[in-house]
Amino acid sequence: MRNKNKFANIYLVLVFVVLYAPIFYLMYYSFNSGGTMRDFEGFTLDYYREVFQDTRLIIIVINTLVIALLSSAIATLIAIFGALAIHHIRSRRAKNTLLSLNNVLIVSPDVIIGASFLILFTIAGIKLGFTSVLLSHVAFSIPIAVLMILPHLQDMSPTLTDAARDLGATRRDVLTKVILPIIKPGIFSGFFMALTYSLDDFAVTFFVTGNGYSTLSVEIYSRARQGVSLSINALSTLIFLFTILLVVGYYFLNRRKARPGAAIAEPAAELGVPR
Amino acid sequence: MKQLVNAFLAILIVAFGLMFLGSRLNSAQGYTGGNTLTIYNWGDYIDPDLLDQFQEETGITVIYQTFDSNEAMLTKVEQGGTTFDVVVPSDYAIAKMREENLLLPLDHSKIPNLANIDEQFMDLSFDPGNMYSVPYFWGTVGIIFNPEMTEGMDFSSWDSLWDSRLNNNIFLVDGAREVMGMALNSLHYSVNDTNEDHLQEALAKLNRLSPNVKAIVGDEIKMLLANEEAAVGIVWSGDASEIMDENDKLDYIVPEEGSNIWFDNMVIPKTAANVEGAHKFIDFMLRPEVAAQNTEYVGYSTPNTPALALLPEDISGDTRFYPPAEITDRLEVYDNLGKRMLAHYNELFLRFKMNKK
Repeated sequence: MRNKNKFANIYLVLVFVVLYAPIFYLMYYSFNSGGTMRDFEGFTLDYYREVFQDTRLIIIVINTLVIALLSSAIATLIAIFGALAIHHIRSRRAKNTLLSLNNVLIVSPDVIIGASFLILFTIAGIKLGFTSVLLSHVAFSIPIAVLMILPHLQDMSPTLTDAARDLGATRRDVLTKVILPIIKPGIFSGFFMALTYSLDDFAVTFFVTGNGYSTLSVEIYSRARQGVSLSINALSTLIFLFTILLVVGYYFLNRRKARPGAAIAEPAAELGVPR
Repeated sequence: MKQLVNAFLAILIVAFGLMFLGSRLNSAQGYTGGNTLTIYNWGDYIDPDLLDQFQEETGITVIYQTFDSNEAMLTKVEQGGTTFDVVVPSDYAIAKMREENLLLPLDHSKIPNLANIDEQFMDLSFDPGNMYSVPYFWGTVGIIFNPEMTEGMDFSSWDSLWDSRLNNNIFLVDGAREVMGMALNSLHYSVNDTNEDHLQEALAKLNRLSPNVKAIVGDEIKMLLANEEAAVGIVWSGDASEIMDENDKLDYIVPEEGSNIWFDNMVIPKTAANVEGAHKFIDFMLRPEVAAQNTEYVGYSTPNTPALALLPEDISGDTRFYPPAEITDRLEVYDNLGKRMLAHYNELFLRFKMNKK
């Protein structure tokens, strides 16, 4: 029995090594004064200095963050009502159709979505830039957020809303005081999923950027053609550390809240795992 | 509920704060004013100091954007969602853009420095009379090899690639025109040959090359060769100079049967917003000192004669990148063979790839 456990642990460690090795490899070489990813010559912080001096790169990082935050906030807001609407549909067939349509958008290739947006925006006369990128990111984030929120709605006992109604709650009260608090974990995980999708999306963004407006994924890709410079390593390291900080912060926030009223906390959903 | 609203507000505040910061940075850099020039170029294909110099001289703010393939650039320009003022496509892409009416004719009176360009790089088949384009950089297709791994083999002829000593030791770049052209050249035909017998002969010869070919790869060929994964590669001279920067053991040669010569030229697309500024920029880039500085930064071959004279001897005298006349005379530009012939080239190249074990 003990032996079995040991193997499981080794396996787990191996999986994490495979997952994290490339990232640490990249971080390691961001300190290389040699200038390449082959031989490590000496320690330097030059590439970090380069990142902070490159105003264009910093503007691009800011663009990326603004787009990610705004698009996922808007998408989650829309997705809440979308999920509520789908949940309230009585006809099974209509509900399944809507759900399938929602899923098709998630699995359809990014390249196709990106190309369609490009065509749509040029026909509609929308200039490529901030607006076009924001709109397309909102669009591809909505189905993901809907998928995160729906299970929480389905888990919610219908008697809860009935009881609230019986006790004299208005429609608005039912929504704000009963439904929203219950599906809150879903809303948060939907938001964070949308955030990550938006941060690393290349294919869609590539088609809809323009007029000097660019995001990190697109920028790194066009730089990579000439071989990735180590300042990209440095930037990636910074972003990775920033993400870790966010995750750790999120974890501690949740733990503090989970203690007094542990009833609603659902770890699986909190971590963004669809059920 | 309260927590949700708070979280939402916090996100909005952070986002708008960042947006404010971004626009402050943008205006500090001057990216928002009306007097701007948008340049669309290959990644890392210009000395950034020159952009600053141009801004200082003219007061025009440069917005610099990059692409990684002619096809990606074409899509963006065709759709017209953005206004690019100067774009730097390669020869065949220029022919295509001309056909599709995407370019503005250049006003040669506004580009006096055009006189600096070497005669032999002007008036080529993809743009007769240089109506629409001005040479930026040029180069060749040739063989890059590792003398240590090839033990004194001589690569001055394409035929040397068929040597059995190179078994499983050659990387080919994944381009139908490049590989077919190489085979045609080795048979002393033109890279633009359309004679079916000649093409079949070339395919047969390519098939005999199969045992020597380790892989047919894209842009990663640079990394693979620099890491000495194989002794020999067929590459563009621009890539060769980058590989040799990474690994100075390697050497490059243009075989004497002839080869392809390629160009990246500056053009002004139809959608340009600042045509005046675009002409100014093109003229600026053709100045001898500017072209020389840019050549030193990028490392490709410049078509600018007075600039060449300004460059140190070890660059301008490098016959690998500035081959003597007897070689350049044999170099050919890819003609636009038309859709059907191109498809046929691709088909033959595909058959070669499938045959390769």
